Amino acid sequence: MNIYFTCNGKQISLDVDPGIRVLDLLRDVLNLYGTKEGCGRGECGACTILMDGKAVNACLMYASKLDGREVLTIEGIEGEDGALHPVQESFLEEGAIQCGFCTPGMVLSTKALLDELPEPDTKEIEEALSGNMCRCTGYAKIIKAVEKSAERLQEKS
Amino acid sequence: MGTQHPLNTIGKPVAKVDGRELVTGKARFTADMKLPGMVYGYQARSGVPSAKLLAIDTEKARRSDGVLDVFTAEDIPGPNLIGILPPFDQPVMADKEIRYAGETIALVVGETREQAKQGARKISPSYQVLTPILTVDDALKENARKIHPQGNITFSKELIKGDARKGLEDADVVVTGTYETSFQEHAYLEPEAVCAVPHGDNRITIYASCQSPFHLRGHIANNLGVPATRVKVVQAYTGGSFGGKDDVAVEIGILAGTAALKLNRPVMISHEREESIKGSNVRHAARIEYTTGAKKDGTLTARVAKVYLDGGAYASESPFVTMKALIHAAGPYVVDNVSVEVTTVYTNKTYAGAFRGFGVPQVTFASESQMDELAKELGMDPLALREKNGLKAGDLTATSQSYDSSVGFLETVRAIRTVRDRFTVEKNDDRYVYGTGVASLLQGISNGAEGVDVVGASVQMSQDGSVLVGCGLTELGQGSRTVFAQIASEVLGCNMDRVVVRQVDTDSVHDSGPTVASRTTTVGGMAVKKAAEQVAGSLKKMASLMFKIDEEHIELKEGFAVLKQDTNASIPLSEVATAAYWTGFPLMNLAFSQAPPVDYDHDTHQGDIYLAYNFGTHLMKVQIDTYTGEVRVLHHAAAHDVGRVVNPLGVTGQIEGASLIGYGLAHLERIEYADGIIRNPNFADYAVPSIKDRLPTETILIEDPTPNGPFGAKGVGEPPVAGAAAAFANAVADATGHRFRNLPVTREDITSVFRKEA
Repeated sequence: MNIYFTCNGKQISLDVDPGIRVLDLLRDVLNLYGTKEGCGRGECGACTILMDGKAVNACLMYASKLDGREVLTIEGIEGEDGALHPVQESFLEEGAIQCGFCTPGMVLSTKALLDELPEPDTKEIEEALSGNMCRCTGYAKIIKAVEKSAERLQEKS
Repeated sequence: MGTQHPLNTIGKPVAKVDGRELVTGKARFTADMKLPGMVYGYQARSGVPSAKLLAIDTEKARRSDGVLDVFTAEDIPGPNLIGILPPFDQPVMADKEIRYAGETIALVVGETREQAKQGARKISPSYQVLTPILTVDDALKENARKIHPQGNITFSKELIKGDARKGLEDADVVVTGTYETSFQEHAYLEPEAVCAVPHGDNRITIYASCQSPFHLRGHIANNLGVPATRVKVVQAYTGGSFGGKDDVAVEIGILAGTAALKLNRPVMISHEREESIKGSNVRHAARIEYTTGAKKDGTLTARVAKVYLDGGAYASESPFVTMKALIHAAGPYVVDNVSVEVTTVYTNKTYAGAFRGFGVPQVTFASESQMDELAKELGMDPLALREKNGLKAGDLTATSQSYDSSVGFLETVRAIRTVRDRFTVEKNDDRYVYGTGVASLLQGISNGAEGVDVVGASVQMSQDGSVLVGCGLTELGQGSRTVFAQIASEVLGCNMDRVVVRQVDTDSVHDSGPTVASRTTTVGGMAVKKAAEQVAGSLKKMASLMFKIDEEHIELKEGFAVLKQDTNASIPLSEVATAAYWTGFPLMNLAFSQAPPVDYDHDTHQGDIYLAYNFGTHLMKVQIDTYTGEVRVLHHAAAHDVGRVVNPLGVTGQIEGASLIGYGLAHLERIEYADGIIRNPNFADYAVPSIKDRLPTETILIEDPTPNGPFGAKGVGEPPVAGAAAAFANAVADATGHRFRNLPVTREDITSVFRKEA
């Protein structure tokens, strides 16, 4: 089927097998490899993308669902000049990255949270990231990175 | 220390040097590779834990859509045998016998992964099913069927120090108990993956998510029947490993390599989560019978432990896990009489191998439970008991090794006492009970007498003053590239952003052994430091000619060669390097760090074994809901003697991350088996800690430098696992008044105690 959607600000028109997963479409068709597959069952959050601003698991969604939507992947959140997004900067600075495999999903879940709740409390951060697993960091630095991101975005706005 | 001036980079918090490509998603992990003509492999697995393999019918699979070829054991060109310590016991693909349910029996290669997977489902084996041996007790029965020709004991070792029997006779108080721990899954976020690429020049490149590229190269070459130098292993960005991406990476490296050579096309094998859990090694489950004797004043007189480790179907790292468990079972204490026996046993379950902590978390849980039980018997404060018996510089460890320095154990105990003193004791009420637990540990840094500790590192400076570092130990997320960059930057006096630490490939770095045993910063860092010092020597020699002054008056700092007496007199390193190049002074060096020679008796396990120990003490304060069994960790403190902090951001990250894995082991995680089949091979049923389970960790860093590490640094990757797990168990015991001797202590275990009481 033909689908039309926006991905990282670009208009995309594709003839796709409607039964393939959004994850495979992003990776295999659009070469957006920043979206990772950790479990394929919606349990780890490594494939998190933003669809119309909401964090969703790309492994649980069929490509046909993208029609008419706006998608943001990790490749789309840097500034025009290649500058890191404030959330990315904060993850880097706070040491919230170890192996980095969960990081794109974490960053996008954080962005979705902060777009909706600019000053989240710890419980709200936990809730927003509870679907994103990390085996390396123990999460403490991820919480700090989210808090720092919130501060940075507040300063900017 | 050897360093007179204050350190510029060492000890400063720095962001990961490879962080930018990770946070932008630009880092290519193995499964992110797409090459022209690339095809996909998928493994068919046995599905039964124990059987004679009579035949494999591959015809239906071969006729399946998109399937290009099918490979079975006989298609492996070499011996079809892998392992860690010879004689190897593990086939790449089962040939005659099935020994666990996740074992590979065939590889199906298809144009797409889905087609390969569908083909793999059509592989049809014929079995004579055998009754699986699923427990250590069954495996050790006199007339038990032999899982391997030599029997069911994988490895057995005994450590004898003093006279344990007499030590127990001399004791005023003796405590004894049996402790058990469960199989734990690594659960790195990136499932295992390799991509094998054949080349026209008879070489093959294997891109791999792996921990020890030279281990892969050796086994892959041997099983492909080619010389090692025809194989190049490139470690791709690796999404966590924790000990888990050795054996399985070897296995799929050989499979992909075999297929790639036959088909002359790149072959990708990237695992799904279920395959990762069923088909790669886990942490050994353990049963530990432990007895401790002490005088009335708390002085330990003897410690006796008999440890059984369930090693599953193949040996893997069991020989070394056995040894680590043996050496660490007595804890960080002065004990004159120690007797430890560790036996690892084959069973028809997924093989156990390396996992962060390597046998130490299991024995530490038993040892530290015993210390608390003893303290209770003696009416002593648990920390006072640990302090009374704690190792100091000059004391003898369980192997009778002594260290002149870098034994910061007592400082960790005292730091934890300060933390404990901050808190008031919470009062239990109808619903909630409170408790505090402490646990102490030591963990050997380096392979030591278990293996070899030679690490090679190269450092080169280009004429523009930028630096390239290569080392055979790998970045797995733990931050080794950052630490190596800091060390090179410190020695060469250049800024961090002028240093690149290359990814590891076997063509370009020296075989440095495996990236294990918390040794990367210590042993790898020492090699980088040495190599950098040789380049720094050339630079100083050149600068001395340029300044026309003796070398001793020159230092390298912030990108310049500087006169110590007059820091305004400086020459940029780029100019010094260019001049050195034209003068013919070498700007690249390959240096080796080698642990000091050891004198170790492998029969009694007495002598010098590790170049240093990391020491630690943890505290956990918990609140338990007696209605639901829910445990809230109100505070967690982890004090470790790390010798010297290289990167505060990295070291605290290691301690926080390792502690949560320990907490998982103690409270949440358990591989569940039914009739030899794993029942929870996914993240819905296997509980990996989520952000809601995170620990409120307060990290306390004790710096008692070791002469054997760069700037005094000791590794800390593994030790906190043991500390957090054991402290959790002791905290729960303190809160509930019930000593749980099996890990994990789940919510159900806790509620069942209160239900009984009600």
